[in-house]
Amino acid sequence: MSIHIEKLNYVYQSGTPFSHRALTDVSLDIADGSYTAIIGHTGSGKSTLLQHLNGLLKPTAGTLTVAGNKITPETKNKELNELRRHVGFIFQFPEAQLFEETVLKDIAFAPKNFGKSDEEAEDLAAKMAELVGLPASVLQNSPFELSGGQMRRVAIAGVLAMEPQILVLDEPTAGLDPKGRLEMMEMFERLHQQQNLTIILVTHQMNDVANYADHVLVMEEGRLIADSTPQEVFSDPKWLKGHHLGLPQTTAFAAKLADKGVPFKNLPLTEEQLAAQLAELLAGKGDEQHG
Amino acid sequence: MNGIIDIKDLCFRYSQENEKLDLSHIDLHVNEGEWLAIIGHNGSGKSTLAKAIDGLIEPEAGEVFIDGEKLTDKSLWNIRKKIGMVFQNPDNQFVGADVEGDVAFGLENQGIEREEMHARVKKALEVVDMQNFAKHEPVRLSGGQKQRVAIAGVLALRPKIVIFDESTSMLDPEGRLQIISLIRQMNQIEGFTVISITHDIDEASLADRVIVIDDGQIIDDSLPEKLFQKGEQLIDIGLDVPYPQRLKLELKKRGIQIPAEYMDEESMVNWLCRSILKN
Repeated sequence: MSIHIEKLNYVYQSGTPFSHRALTDVSLDIADGSYTAIIGHTGSGKSTLLQHLNGLLKPTAGTLTVAGNKITPETKNKELNELRRHVGFIFQFPEAQLFEETVLKDIAFAPKNFGKSDEEAEDLAAKMAELVGLPASVLQNSPFELSGGQMRRVAIAGVLAMEPQILVLDEPTAGLDPKGRLEMMEMFERLHQQQNLTIILVTHQMNDVANYADHVLVMEEGRLIADSTPQEVFSDPKWLKGHHLGLPQTTAFAAKLADKGVPFKNLPLTEEQLAAQLAELLAGKGDEQHG
Repeated sequence: MNGIIDIKDLCFRYSQENEKLDLSHIDLHVNEGEWLAIIGHNGSGKSTLAKAIDGLIEPEAGEVFIDGEKLTDKSLWNIRKKIGMVFQNPDNQFVGADVEGDVAFGLENQGIEREEMHARVKKALEVVDMQNFAKHEPVRLSGGQKQRVAIAGVLALRPKIVIFDESTSMLDPEGRLQIISLIRQMNQIEGFTVISITHDIDEASLADRVIVIDDGQIIDDSLPEKLFQKGEQLIDIGLDVPYPQRLKLELKKRGIQIPAEYMDEESMVNWLCRSILKN
């Protein structure tokens, strides 16, 4: 279920005095089963790009092919239904979209809508609830009695119940405390690993990019300015600073050590990588001290 | 002995059907000019406590004094003039058509004279460094800029206490650092008493004092550096473990001996450099 985008252009309110170009000649590929992070500032075109992935917007020029469905400026809205089954979207604060009487019914809503019987849909819903870590005891409760973190899980289970192959996450951890954030990111990682979901994550959290993504896209003023790996993007702190982007905590910390003369083979991205390199350096010196 | 905020044995529950109190026997004293951080995991009662201070909820028992005055139905409106609040989502706080109008909104509501209003709006926008954006529309601003405008709106009203309720949690890293440094400036240079409710370890580390709320109770009240020694327990009270602590744990796993006392980032960098670059 790969994504192929070629020379995608999008202009808001095209042909009016308010016309505003949001995407310019964006071309990229997202591989099946990959974990892609999209970073960039507010207004860089990230959201406009995302909205093309399930046909909420259609290109002004250029094409995209998502899971075998080609979308061009001429594509009819009716033809987008097939696409939408493949791409699950989780927006910021998805819990705001809950509405059913019980958790189970809320999760089962989408599969019912896509033609499953009540029984099939509810079986699927129970399975998805388990997948996102909701205890079975809450399935018959009203979703509005749950904590914020659990409500968000219900909303996510509802998206998963459509059995999408691509999951698009737009700052999914906004507003959660650090523990909730970690649990949520670990849950997506599990889905990525176990269900082989292709994940596309829009985030400001560079730690998450370093810890989870294998592919990074950097957007600026409607253009794609980098298409690379976390390792490569974060190896150039100057370039990032020039584009007002941050570093993962580990890389920032290691850069400070490197400035003072600590010889790193390459700038580490995660705590484990940094600790491993430091342990090696410290052990070397330790031997000399005691020897 | 009177503080700017004095809370005595405050109890509150959202619904009479709740068996448990949502705020339970809270005693809190805040000195004028102090920066107090309130931390706790989602749902611990942090924001409820802020609401109690601003008189947005009615306690079941106990008393709240603001600037020496007891919070009652009668004193409520006078007390609210002394307290400004900045919330989480910058988009939910914009009411004006442009930046200037937004900052002026609260002043208009209080019937401040036109000339005085102009002067206050100008000063407030200068403090938050948004004077060049006075005529801009909110949609053209970044999250951090919007939050600065929200803060200017609060400043223009000249409160004594400013409460930041997770005001940095939805911002990008650059915006987050801008707001944290602005909070610091407001506390240290402008002299406001600051209460920041936060999950952000950088924000909490700048406070004079940190209280931890869990299950509607104050379970800890200490200096930030003392609190940060708790290591992994911090996760349970709604904070992240400070980076140097996390790195320490990883190094310990690999058999590296590190001094036990708390180290901030700078002292950790220095310790590592000394140990690695020795001889």
